[in-house]
Amino acid sequence: MKPFSSPIRSRFYLILSAFFLFFTGCASDAELDTLEPQGPSAQSIDSLSNPVFVIAGIVLLLVVGGTFYMFRFRSDHSDEDFPTQTHGNLKLEILWTLIPVLILAGVAVFTLITLAEINSTEENAMALSVEGETVTWEPEVVVIGQQWWWEYRYYLDGLEGVDLSDARNLPPADIVTSTQMVIPTGEEIELKILSRDVIHSHWIPALNGKKDAVPGRVHPWKIEADEPGVYFGQCTEFCGLSHSRMRMQAVAMDPIDFQNWINEQIEPASDPVSETAQRGQETFSSLCTRCHVVNGLNDETSIGADLVSNAAPNLTHFMSRTTYAGGIFNLYEPDGSLDRSQLEAWLRNSPEEKPAYAQGRRGMPNMGLDEKQIDDIVAYLQTLGERPSSEIISATEVE
Amino acid sequence: MTQTMEPSSMTTSNGEKSHRPLGVYTRPKGGGGWRDWVTTVDHKKIGILYGAAALFFFVIGGIEALLIRLQLATPNGTVLGADTYNQVYTMHGVTMIFLAAMPLAAAFANYLIPLQIGARDVAFPRLNAMSFWVFLAGGIFINLSWLFGGAPDGGWFAYAPNTGIVFSPSHGMDFYAIGLQITGIASLVSGINLTVTIFNMRAPGMTLFKMPVFTWMMLVVQLLLVFAMPVIAVALFLLTFSRLYGATFFTPELGGDPLLWQHLFWIFGHPEVYILVLPAFGIISEVIPTFSRKPIFGYPFMVFSGIAIGFMGWGVWAHHMFVSGIGPVSVAAFSLSTMFIAVPTGVKILNWMATMWGGRIKFSAAMLFAIGVVSMFTIGGLSGVTHSVAPADTQQTDTYYIVAHFHYVIFGGIIFGLFSGFYFWWPKVFGHKLSEKMGKLNFWVMLVGFNLTFGPMHILGLQGMSRRIDTYSPGFGFETWNLVVTIGSFMIALSVLIFLINVVISARNARGLPPTEPDPWDARSLEWITPNPTPAHNFDEIPIVESLDEFWHRKYGSDEDGKVVRVATAEEVCQDGTAEGVHLPSPSYWPLVFAIGLPFIGLGLIYSLWLCVFGGALALMGLYAWVFEPVDDPDVDHHEPQKEDA
Repeated sequence: MKPFSSPIRSRFYLILSAFFLFFTGCASDAELDTLEPQGPSAQSIDSLSNPVFVIAGIVLLLVVGGTFYMFRFRSDHSDEDFPTQTHGNLKLEILWTLIPVLILAGVAVFTLITLAEINSTEENAMALSVEGETVTWEPEVVVIGQQWWWEYRYYLDGLEGVDLSDARNLPPADIVTSTQMVIPTGEEIELKILSRDVIHSHWIPALNGKKDAVPGRVHPWKIEADEPGVYFGQCTEFCGLSHSRMRMQAVAMDPIDFQNWINEQIEPASDPVSETAQRGQETFSSLCTRCHVVNGLNDETSIGADLVSNAAPNLTHFMSRTTYAGGIFNLYEPDGSLDRSQLEAWLRNSPEEKPAYAQGRRGMPNMGLDEKQIDDIVAYLQTLGERPSSEIISATEVE
Repeated sequence: MTQTMEPSSMTTSNGEKSHRPLGVYTRPKGGGGWRDWVTTVDHKKIGILYGAAALFFFVIGGIEALLIRLQLATPNGTVLGADTYNQVYTMHGVTMIFLAAMPLAAAFANYLIPLQIGARDVAFPRLNAMSFWVFLAGGIFINLSWLFGGAPDGGWFAYAPNTGIVFSPSHGMDFYAIGLQITGIASLVSGINLTVTIFNMRAPGMTLFKMPVFTWMMLVVQLLLVFAMPVIAVALFLLTFSRLYGATFFTPELGGDPLLWQHLFWIFGHPEVYILVLPAFGIISEVIPTFSRKPIFGYPFMVFSGIAIGFMGWGVWAHHMFVSGIGPVSVAAFSLSTMFIAVPTGVKILNWMATMWGGRIKFSAAMLFAIGVVSMFTIGGLSGVTHSVAPADTQQTDTYYIVAHFHYVIFGGIIFGLFSGFYFWWPKVFGHKLSEKMGKLNFWVMLVGFNLTFGPMHILGLQGMSRRIDTYSPGFGFETWNLVVTIGSFMIALSVLIFLINVVISARNARGLPPTEPDPWDARSLEWITPNPTPAHNFDEIPIVESLDEFWHRKYGSDEDGKVVRVATAEEVCQDGTAEGVHLPSPSYWPLVFAIGLPFIGLGLIYSLWLCVFGGALALMGLYAWVFEPVDDPDVDHHEPQKEDA
């Protein structure tokens, strides 16, 4: 059900697009634009809000125009010149009470319809092959916010029996990724949004509106992308020091690419071959695994409570993601090679690269690594996961 | 001397025999100079004090706004660090709402309500003084946090658990919680005081439906304060106990709920919006009829829509929480209630326009600002309707679209309204007009600056720029409009500077000249019966009221064709302020002493309980002496001091 159907609507769009083209003309690359829906939920919100914008615009023009019209009634400054002393007009006043009531009642009907639409869930399922077996996945992703990055967990056997009540202590998942959520196109993905510390808000404007991540609660929400592509997001509930640096992306792939992605992600990390990388793994094991998990090296139950959120990004497939540190740095140069200097700077002194309260156990501390250790760890990190396609690297690039 | 134990009944005393009470209990004499100001219980002086203090905080909040805009002028700004930015934006909101907009409204309420209803003062003059000093103490207390390790950094909305001790370890949020508790006392007491004043102290003949719209709107505001302040007080107590004593109201692991804070905060917070905006509505409901030379169109509709807003304002709080996870049924209910609160507001807008319609409009500075409210507030109201549509709000909330919306409401509605009030009542308060020429310049610079600042924020928000971010990256299309916004904000600063210069220059030009003539604007309501500036005793004799717009009806009648004819000149109608022997409440030291105690109690809660003992002793002493001080200072003969400087 789409509100305000066809002929009127196209005229609405004409005015509206002229208006917004004018104002957003210099911003064709606005990745967070709320006016370019790319999925059904965002689309139904857009179809609802556009006519409301138009109605509001018309009323606005009438009122502002009206105030300018009052210039007609300017005084000639003679002291004894009096207008007719009208004290009111009951009929007129009742009329202009009723007109907004009726307009708003109309808006209310479509609001309720859309509200029902974006809160409904669809029974959808897709067949995935996981380690040679076929599983039926009802697309669900557990989304967890913490200062200042997002984690995405995939339980491919479904969420039944998965206890989400303690976000700081979740059962092991098949796939754990961060900052980039990978989804198949054309499927409605149910999100379960959690928080491990303060309130955050998960928002990918092209796909749907936002939903807060509140500690102690599991908030259902959904997203769906029509076309493969990368959709940018940003935490929108103030969550402390690096709130502005808590970003994310949804990477939508067609089902075949998604299956390939699953196949990669499901694998644990294997031990590195080169000597530097082996040294890197040792350093990593002694210093980094207190917070970070690499499947095959340690597991989540081994990490201590060094952080308030009790979680740091799972790095098993670090290289398969193109951004890190809450989505503010590119892992790769535009030509597809590793952006080594940024990664080294991050390992050298991360609080300087991104504001954090490391002393308050919130954010990655300065680990005091020497240059050799940094080189080793970079070598080790490069063995974790596979480099994504150059298409994805360029589409996910952040500035 | 047992007579010092006499209960204080203030204005009702008819000045019996003199008595000389014990030392400290002597009531201060009107000695002139600063002593007059710190001991005053005169509602007019208190109004001026409120105005001056609030304008000071308005400038502070404005400087904070400029810092924010400098930081955001370009992508990856480096003017403020993330930590400082969070403190500055939090304090901008706290300062503008609690320390500038609310007390500015209190300034108008204090000065004008007794005059508009034909009273000599408010019901409880010493409580009134206490409200002011407590507000000032709270305002200073909150700002002390800048010197004591950092200002509040959790936003003015202070969402738990980000404001808990783990996530906000500096003392900033303690200063926020205790400081707002202190200013809350001021608002609550003042709300009760003015409500009682309006209900009990109206001049003979002034029935409720002959009260000016300004007083009506203020009555609604005072009642909202009386019911809303206790809610924020509870919320702030919970926050204080959580931070200082390890309470767990908002900690889910221990059975608390972060949403509890949000509900409490917004049950206060949404009526607060109307607490802020109704005074401005009241002001322009006086200004527009005066300068259109027509009575307000649909007085009963204006009054009832104000009351309706007051009631409906309690049923919309969760529209601040559409994405907080309150469930689709709640979202639907609050979405609808929010839509329909637009109706009474819309009625007001149309009635103001109908008041102007067919009038003989004088576009004075006050009138320009009032018309500014009608159109600019409408923009804020309409964007408000767009996010009452809950699904749309899931895209808009916590973006700059919201920042644009509430600045059109708060700045376009409230600040423009207050400036309209400044220009309109300045001669009443200070005995001289502000320069009209500079006033008009003030208006146009502010109007353009305001729209440059907040207009583009709509676009930024729809382009996806989040609120409360200390920086943004290039490549999202935010650069151009942010630069425009920053330029606009400096234009607003310029317009405020023009206003301040106007205040100084107009005062200087008026020096040595007789006060402005009575009734400079051909006004309508009772306060203009008194001479300019208002004498200490307000009315020589309390007027007997026969109609709405009493003052106007004393000046004008109508001939047999129904045409307006003048029946008396303003000079004939206005009182000359020469009455002598009018009994007035005596000044008192103790409201100030009580107020000084409170910040020490606050500091004590944060740092050392010994300070609490000191502050508590001071406050108790203030209250004790307040109760036992004599009703009057015998030496002043219970009467207004002789006017030596007149």
